[in-house]
Amino acid sequence: MIRKILAFSIALIFIFPIFFLITSSFKNNIDLFSIPPKLFLFNIDFSAYERVFGFSKLLKFDPSYGELYLTSRILDSLIVGIGSSSLTLIIGIYAGYYISRANFKYKNFLIMSILSARMMPLISIAIPLYFVYEKINLLDTYVGLILIHTFINLPLAVLLLKSFFDEVPKQIDENAFIDGASKIKILHKLIIPCAKGGIAVTFILSIIFSWTEFICALMIGQMKIKTIPIQASIMKTIPSWDMMAAFTTISIIPVFIMILAVRKHFVRGLTLGTVKE
Amino acid sequence: MAAQKSYSLPSFMNSDSSLPWLLPLITMLIVFAIIPFFYNIYLSFHEFVPAKRALLFVGWDNWIRLFTDGVFWGSLKVSLYYTFMCLLIQLVLGMGIALLIDSDDPGFGIIRSILTLTLVIPPAIAGMIFLIMEDANYGLIPWLLKSVGLIGPEDTILADPTLALWGVMIVDIWQWTPFMVLILVAGLRSLPSEPFESAVIDGARPFQVFRRLTLPMLHKVIAVAILIRGIDLWRMVDYVFVLTSGGPGTATYTLSLYSWQRFTFVQWGYGATISLFSLIVILIVGNAFIHFAKVKW
Repeated sequence: MIRKILAFSIALIFIFPIFFLITSSFKNNIDLFSIPPKLFLFNIDFSAYERVFGFSKLLKFDPSYGELYLTSRILDSLIVGIGSSSLTLIIGIYAGYYISRANFKYKNFLIMSILSARMMPLISIAIPLYFVYEKINLLDTYVGLILIHTFINLPLAVLLLKSFFDEVPKQIDENAFIDGASKIKILHKLIIPCAKGGIAVTFILSIIFSWTEFICALMIGQMKIKTIPIQASIMKTIPSWDMMAAFTTISIIPVFIMILAVRKHFVRGLTLGTVKE
Repeated sequence: MAAQKSYSLPSFMNSDSSLPWLLPLITMLIVFAIIPFFYNIYLSFHEFVPAKRALLFVGWDNWIRLFTDGVFWGSLKVSLYYTFMCLLIQLVLGMGIALLIDSDDPGFGIIRSILTLTLVIPPAIAGMIFLIMEDANYGLIPWLLKSVGLIGPEDTILADPTLALWGVMIVDIWQWTPFMVLILVAGLRSLPSEPFESAVIDGARPFQVFRRLTLPMLHKVIAVAILIRGIDLWRMVDYVFVLTSGGPGTATYTLSLYSWQRFTFVQWGYGATISLFSLIVILIVGNAFIHFAKVKW
């Protein structure tokens, strides 16, 4: 019993900043800037949400606050997230399946290369790519950001999918192969349906990591494309905590829903397929 | 590996050419890892010269500047301190909490679900939450610290050269301790129960069981957790960007942030040199760690 109380109080400490963020978005400026801070007893105020979505007429003329501005940031994150995760998945399925099934000479070297790619400080990719993108006009485009997020998520996707394909018995493909099915057909008709849970998990985790990525999105997206973390960091300069809180609350709710859906495989994703829960 | 598998056929894929399967992956690795790596080397021997509005060859100048630059050494120290302290605190705290919630009781399952939530918040947004909570005038944390007398009434956290880094680290510790907890709990849950039962029968004390049984059996899980957390700590930039922008002064510059900051000051070559240094360090340390800790994929 003591153990339970202790565990729940630790959980409360960890959830407190999230609670604080969400409640801040419903506070008015008097409650937000009060000493001592008002945690529970405050007047509920929806005006921050009205301003984030641009419903408030007061701010409609300011382009930096306007309706399209903040909702289009969420759209940017969605396009980049879904786009890069789909591409990651397509590349990851074929590579992950091959690595899972075949023994080839440079297999270990390939896996170490994938892990080394995971190690790269993102700034060391972003600076050179900035110049490459500048030359081929990919700066500040969805395609450019989707490609770089695909690269960032590939190590996770390949190794995670490999670990899911490892769980599909090898006899399935070998029997089908003896029966004369082509390898690509075996993958599409037999293996992918068997591993569809794992594929869904990989897809969702890729979206989440694209959603949270910062430095590449900052450098590759310039004026037109700003993902949610970039927009949040810009809002630091606007002295409007309630709006910031409202915007970030809206932007983290979808990730919370996604992660609770795949919670069982989350640890496996975080450890690139090595630790199973 | 091949010898361990006793199938009637050798793996049916082996006769196949690997190229079509791996081509997209290898292309991505070449375009986004190999090319940037060599481009970084190229940039580290060049620098943008404002007078001529061009990127010119400068020989070893950037590297000489790197090793004589006090701010670089300061940011290296910050990166090392940040990585090691956060790793240590998160590992110890994570292990403690993991042992606490390692149970079949459904109540603890809820706690694990709660702990996943912090991990998916974009770090920049986690930084914003703590920016509000650590605000010098209206923040919750300075108010708490002041009311228990840990800091003076005029003190701040993020504007104080000695406290600012801890103000950043607290966000990392809050957000990523659950990472350790979840991985270690998963590891603990997968351990067989027999050795623990016989240890208890033999009269081993709980600490001895932990020391002699739990830790060695969790070796692989702990190694993976340290590796992945270490990589992400070393390249961390989001928190300092949002919370302090490297300040006050240069007190919280990490290598990645300093590199980014030089880049925005149009010192492209020097910025690339810093990022290349940081890249080489993590590639050597990371691969050595995988080798010596015998992490297997």
